[in-house]
Amino acid sequence: MIWKFLLGVYIAIITVLAFVIPIGFIPGLGERARIIFLHVPSAWLSVIAFFVAMIYAVRYLRSKNIYEDVKSAASAEIGFLFCFVTTVTGSIWAKFNWGSFWNWDPRETSIFVLLLIYGAYFVLRSAIEVEERKATLSAVYSIIAFVTVPFFIFIMPRIMPGLHPGSKGDPEGAGPVVTFKMDPNMRILFFASLLGFTLVYLWIFKLRSRMEILKIKIQNKIYQEV
Amino acid sequence: MGLYEFLEKNSIYLVLIIALIVWFSVFVYLVRVDVKLKKLEDEFAKLENKEEVGK
Repeated sequence: MIWKFLLGVYIAIITVLAFVIPIGFIPGLGERARIIFLHVPSAWLSVIAFFVAMIYAVRYLRSKNIYEDVKSAASAEIGFLFCFVTTVTGSIWAKFNWGSFWNWDPRETSIFVLLLIYGAYFVLRSAIEVEERKATLSAVYSIIAFVTVPFFIFIMPRIMPGLHPGSKGDPEGAGPVVTFKMDPNMRILFFASLLGFTLVYLWIFKLRSRMEILKIKIQNKIYQEV
Repeated sequence: MGLYEFLEKNSIYLVLIIALIVWFSVFVYLVRVDVKLKKLEDEFAKLENKEEVGK
């Protein structure tokens, strides 16, 4: 339990520093660039979660162990939640930076498509009642869905011109936000934040997996007694 | 200058306090879920052990 309290303190320190640390002058963004410490790690967390969901999907297909399937679904759930958080925080930021909550910028469009792809994953899971069939189909879907993630998160928004920092031909000269051109303070805090969010993900993932496994065990017990 | 006046003039710190409250709430919730889950897992394991001994 001690590492969880330490993680709480670590995240609190990152949150405080995100507001007070000097970040230097960033053309076109100014103080609004501080969103990088919370918004980008949320997106990072969702990518990790979708990746873990894909890994457990592969493991399920190899072993046909239902525990692997529930872990895959748990990770996809967390990924979807943080993908949504990224969209909402980005949208609020966009209102103050670009003048509108939604601009169909390539980055916004790509995250919207990603939400639709993973939304369909949960629709698929809820539409099938037979456990084994549900697990197999959603595992295959999860693998195919993850193939699109690097394209939508890392490639498409960088090769197309757009409003988001890091797009091709960024007019403000702010450059990609996630580069080593960042102010050293900003860079250290940014990577510290990525680490913090990754650890938060591991904790939530472990909790969700344990909960689902316990649910299966209780269900099996009830069936045995009936 | 009182805290209220300070926060009124430096609204960024007000946002910081709100962000900290949100994180703290999420953290407390996660700890509570963790503790409850551990308790349930222990009770379930005990129940299973008892049944195995009974057999």
